[in-house]
Amino acid sequence: MEFFTHSWAMLAGQLAHGWVWFCGLFVVTESWMIAGGWVATGLTIFLFSFLYKDNPFFKVAEHLYLGAGMGWLFQVSVTNVWIPKIWEPVSKGELLVIIPSVLGLSLLTQFVPKISWISRYGFTFMMGYGAGLAIPAGLSTDFISQIGGTIKPFSMLATMSPWAIFNSLVVACGAICVLFYFFFSVEHKGHLKKVSNVGIYFLMIYFGAAFGNTVMARFSLLYGRFDDVYTYSGAKYFYASQIILLGMVVYFLVRWFTGKDKKELDAEETAG
Amino acid sequence: MKLIKKQIPLAIVFITGVLTLVSYYVPHKMSVNYIETINKWENIVVAFAFLLGLVSLFFSHYNKISRKVDGWGYSIFVFIGFLAMVVPALVSQGKQMTDTGFTALGWSYKFIYTSLSGTMFAVLAFYIVSTAYRSFRIRSLQAFVLFIAAFILILGKVPLGQIIWDWVLGWTGRGVNDVIEWIMQVPAVAGKRGIMIGISIGAIVTSLKIIFGIEKQYMGKD
Repeated sequence: MEFFTHSWAMLAGQLAHGWVWFCGLFVVTESWMIAGGWVATGLTIFLFSFLYKDNPFFKVAEHLYLGAGMGWLFQVSVTNVWIPKIWEPVSKGELLVIIPSVLGLSLLTQFVPKISWISRYGFTFMMGYGAGLAIPAGLSTDFISQIGGTIKPFSMLATMSPWAIFNSLVVACGAICVLFYFFFSVEHKGHLKKVSNVGIYFLMIYFGAAFGNTVMARFSLLYGRFDDVYTYSGAKYFYASQIILLGMVVYFLVRWFTGKDKKELDAEETAG
Repeated sequence: MKLIKKQIPLAIVFITGVLTLVSYYVPHKMSVNYIETINKWENIVVAFAFLLGLVSLFFSHYNKISRKVDGWGYSIFVFIGFLAMVVPALVSQGKQMTDTGFTALGWSYKFIYTSLSGTMFAVLAFYIVSTAYRSFRIRSLQAFVLFIAAFILILGKVPLGQIIWDWVLGWTGRGVNDVIEWIMQVPAVAGKRGIMIGISIGAIVTSLKIIFGIEKQYMGKD
């Protein structure tokens, strides 16, 4: 008995020692930061290479993104939900959280076709909660407050400048015209058609503005990526950007000169 | 069996939906407690729903690898990417920073995840430009209005655009930022409000249909 206890203690000690050693490997040093620069600029250039054409480097980065995204969400889920909302309450004897856990586990029966109907319990809970929450949220933020925002300026006309009154009228008329455009219970002809046509112009302005904002948001991300690639092109990072970029160019040139690109293109055309 | 397979799930939707809806409007401690509890429960169920997606993804890529279908090698990188985030998270106990700097998770997040997600969305900038070219081929007055709104917004947010505006339209006394502000706060708001009111009516009607069991496609086939 003493032998087993001793062996167990030895094993536990060795495991703990191994874990400490393993964790030690993940201490972020200056070398790790330089390696990080290489990884970041490499992945960035791999993804940008798709702009030239589809290639294995892009596919590797694309699949890594999928895995890393799921990994990040998984750790968020473990850190923010499973440990504080399931493990800790159950450890303290608060057993009520077992109910949603069982409902959640029921979702996994989707993998077993014969009993997949059990997953309805989890899905219906989510649908009920979502539907119950969507009504007051939709009513207060999207419906009442939007109507309120359109009408409210007209209660302060006496204190408003002519320009502000004009703007309020434009907003109110525009919103009404857009609503007419979405009103399908009556055929759009005559005056109704004219009103709904005006609504289209307001929609177009909104779509144009949204489009412009999206373009600028994407471009600001693009500048950010270029900035990172520039940062990692410095001597501190051993010219990571230049070397990886050069490697990619060499790869594409070799494929071009060996005619592999043409063969692939022909194969795609034949398959198409 | 119909009771277990159909009626109880529909009862769950009804009870959860009605209680959540009513609790929002009842200013009582019980309803506040109910909302707090149900929010926690929802988080837990959603965490398992995420697990469902994760396992499904892993099955799909594991099958690709085991059957050696075309491009199976790339599927290995899904698992590598996953481990590249989860192992550091385990070692760092979910913390990204310490007093001494980045943890392994912070490193993975900064150099792997942020690089990949930032670039993936940045690549879209190029496709948006190509889409813009097609959208902005002005074929009608409506397309012209869309073009003008987008053009002014893009022009006004770059210094060169502001210089050009001041040079060409400086005599009006209005800067491009004033015009952008007006577009965003007046005609764009009118368009947005119409859409939002429409969406909210649609969402409310659909929610009611779900609560009362009229809409039950999400339950799948029997």
